[in-house]
Amino acid sequence: MKERMQNSSLKQEFLKNWIKGLQLHTNFNKNTTILERRKAIKLSADIAIASTRNSTTRWSRALISDASRDGSNKTLIEKISGREAPRKDSFGLIRCSKKIMKRSRVTRQIRARKAVLPSVVGASLIEKKLVKSRTRALKRLVPGGEDMDEISLIKETIDYIVSLRVQVDVMGRMASVADRLIPFKSL
Amino acid sequence: MDMVAAIESEKETENPGNYLACNLSSNWQVNGNNLTNTSVEMISMNNSTVEPSACSAASMVDSFCPQNWDQQANSETLSNLDSVRANLGWNPNQILRSGVFLPAVPGMIHQSLPHFPADSAFIQRAARFSSFSGGNFGEMMNSFTVPDPLNPYSHTFALMQGPHEIFRGNGYEMNLAEASKEASFPVEYGTEMSPLQNEKRCGNFLRSQDEVKNAVDILRNESGMDEFNNRDPIEKFEDAAVESSGQGLGSKKRKRIAQNEKKEAPQPFVETEKDHVESKPKGDQDPASSSKPVGKQGKQGSQGSDIPKEEYIHVRARRGQATNSHSLAERVRREKISERMKYLQDLVPGCSKVTGKAVMLDEIINYVQSLQRQVEFLSMKLATVNPRLEFNIEAFLAKDVHQPRTGLPSSLTIPPDMNLLYPPLHPSQPTIIQSGIPALGNSSDALRRAINLRSTAVGEEFKEPSSQVPNAWEDELHNVVQKGFNSSPTIDEQDLSGILHILKSSFIYRLRC
Repeated sequence: MKERMQNSSLKQEFLKNWIKGLQLHTNFNKNTTILERRKAIKLSADIAIASTRNSTTRWSRALISDASRDGSNKTLIEKISGREAPRKDSFGLIRCSKKIMKRSRVTRQIRARKAVLPSVVGASLIEKKLVKSRTRALKRLVPGGEDMDEISLIKETIDYIVSLRVQVDVMGRMASVADRLIPFKSL
Repeated sequence: MDMVAAIESEKETENPGNYLACNLSSNWQVNGNNLTNTSVEMISMNNSTVEPSACSAASMVDSFCPQNWDQQANSETLSNLDSVRANLGWNPNQILRSGVFLPAVPGMIHQSLPHFPADSAFIQRAARFSSFSGGNFGEMMNSFTVPDPLNPYSHTFALMQGPHEIFRGNGYEMNLAEASKEASFPVEYGTEMSPLQNEKRCGNFLRSQDEVKNAVDILRNESGMDEFNNRDPIEKFEDAAVESSGQGLGSKKRKRIAQNEKKEAPQPFVETEKDHVESKPKGDQDPASSSKPVGKQGKQGSQGSDIPKEEYIHVRARRGQATNSHSLAERVRREKISERMKYLQDLVPGCSKVTGKAVMLDEIINYVQSLQRQVEFLSMKLATVNPRLEFNIEAFLAKDVHQPRTGLPSSLTIPPDMNLLYPPLHPSQPTIIQSGIPALGNSSDALRRAINLRSTAVGEEFKEPSSQVPNAWEDELHNVVQKGFNSSPTIDEQDLSGILHILKSSFIYRLRC
């Protein structure tokens, strides 16, 4: 019961933010392609769900910063999150450090591979390889996940999954309502 | 839509929660059988004074847990705990203090002792509750949601606020120094004690836990009970008291039991538990960690200073394990990861039966990918349904400037606190959408009125064919609202439909212009 209440409050907040963002797309004229519309809707939704976290989680910050890199989204972000879009400088620094980390990680991996050449590949080694590759894949999925260590990655994944669920739920309801309300559709 | 519907139905039917329930209950019952034997034994040795205190202690801990926690389990476990305590001749002050809680906790009725086990697991969780920095619990609840499947075990829900709390605190480890914060936690559950009393209660409870641990040690050493039945609950008591202290049985057994018990407890509790408990044996060695037991007395002022001291996790090597610092740190890390993976298991549907990191990760990846794809699909769908998601409807508004405008503000009340949502309605295009947004906070009545006004206004302005459309929509809207979302008829769906209706009305009329 309580979970439902918070869940629904989260949904409402997301919906609020989303509609605020959609409002900005007032230039939908007849020439707007469907892809552009989809992009706009999705962008608004993503920024809306990220701003429900108020920059407390890394994925939300990464999502908003990625969106703000494209200059045209600045007003959208400011409107939705109610605060200034993050400046580029701080994230530039973060990107530099990311590159350094990546480079060191790669060299470490190369060294590790050269050093260890087991004749018989045990099950545990296979498992470790699998886990590593899947962790990498998960890092690519979660926004901003590239520089996270495993522990915080899992934390972020938890929060991200919850937010995605909310997003899907609200958008799904909107879509189903749209389905039923519109007696005719014109593409 | 199938996917979405499937996901929704999944949430409603609470499947993951069911298998969580099954797993947990099976574990607990196994342990519980042993436990009931001992408990019966011990209770027979008690005098009558223990009983009411047990119930009061049960009710005290109940106050820590959400209402739909299995209260029978609580009373059972706590009665066992108290029986152990009483058996060892503990000072009655402890019990009396817990006895004070009984009148303060409304609605907590003294329960009989049923079969339900899991005492040590419960104690562990209770300890974690008390060590958990509740902060503003309502605040937490608003911003961190737990999916419905956890409903039957909503105590874990409260526990699982931990990750969110970590987020809020930017990753600093919570500890008992913030016991004062958690004063709000029991208060949330309907107790009427002052925060100060709550702090004391938390402190008392935790101290009593350590005393339990000591008592259990004494019990083991002196009485030398070696039967498995007797040893098992004691083991669990010990585990409940001390996460990974190296005394007693081999590390393997402890790990297994600890893992069973840690099933729902997320990582922050492990950390705080470790922080607190393990600092205690090391209290004399490390003056920094001794601030923690002091902090748990609930000094709010010292919270700020305690936070930087919490960066170290004190771990003691288990018996039979390497004491190398690296391996210790690795062990801590592994445990953290496994804690969080367990939580993820609950979150991702269909993962509770899966063991092993690789498979779990695979499932998680698939789930995240599917959710992301769903978002894309839905946004595409919304783009097609609305040929023009037109919010700028100046032309439309220019036509029906007069009546609906005056009608709208009257129909939609603007609460003063929601100033973000309700910027002053001015006669330009945002009006219509802002009329949609207020619907979020208001009841659906205002919304319907707005819709009616809109449709009547439109009916006046446009010719015959168009005026039929809003009526059809009106019916459609009512149908949708009444029948459509039967699964969870909350306000947000009605608002959604209303908002969407308004959106549609706006752009459809623009098309006709």
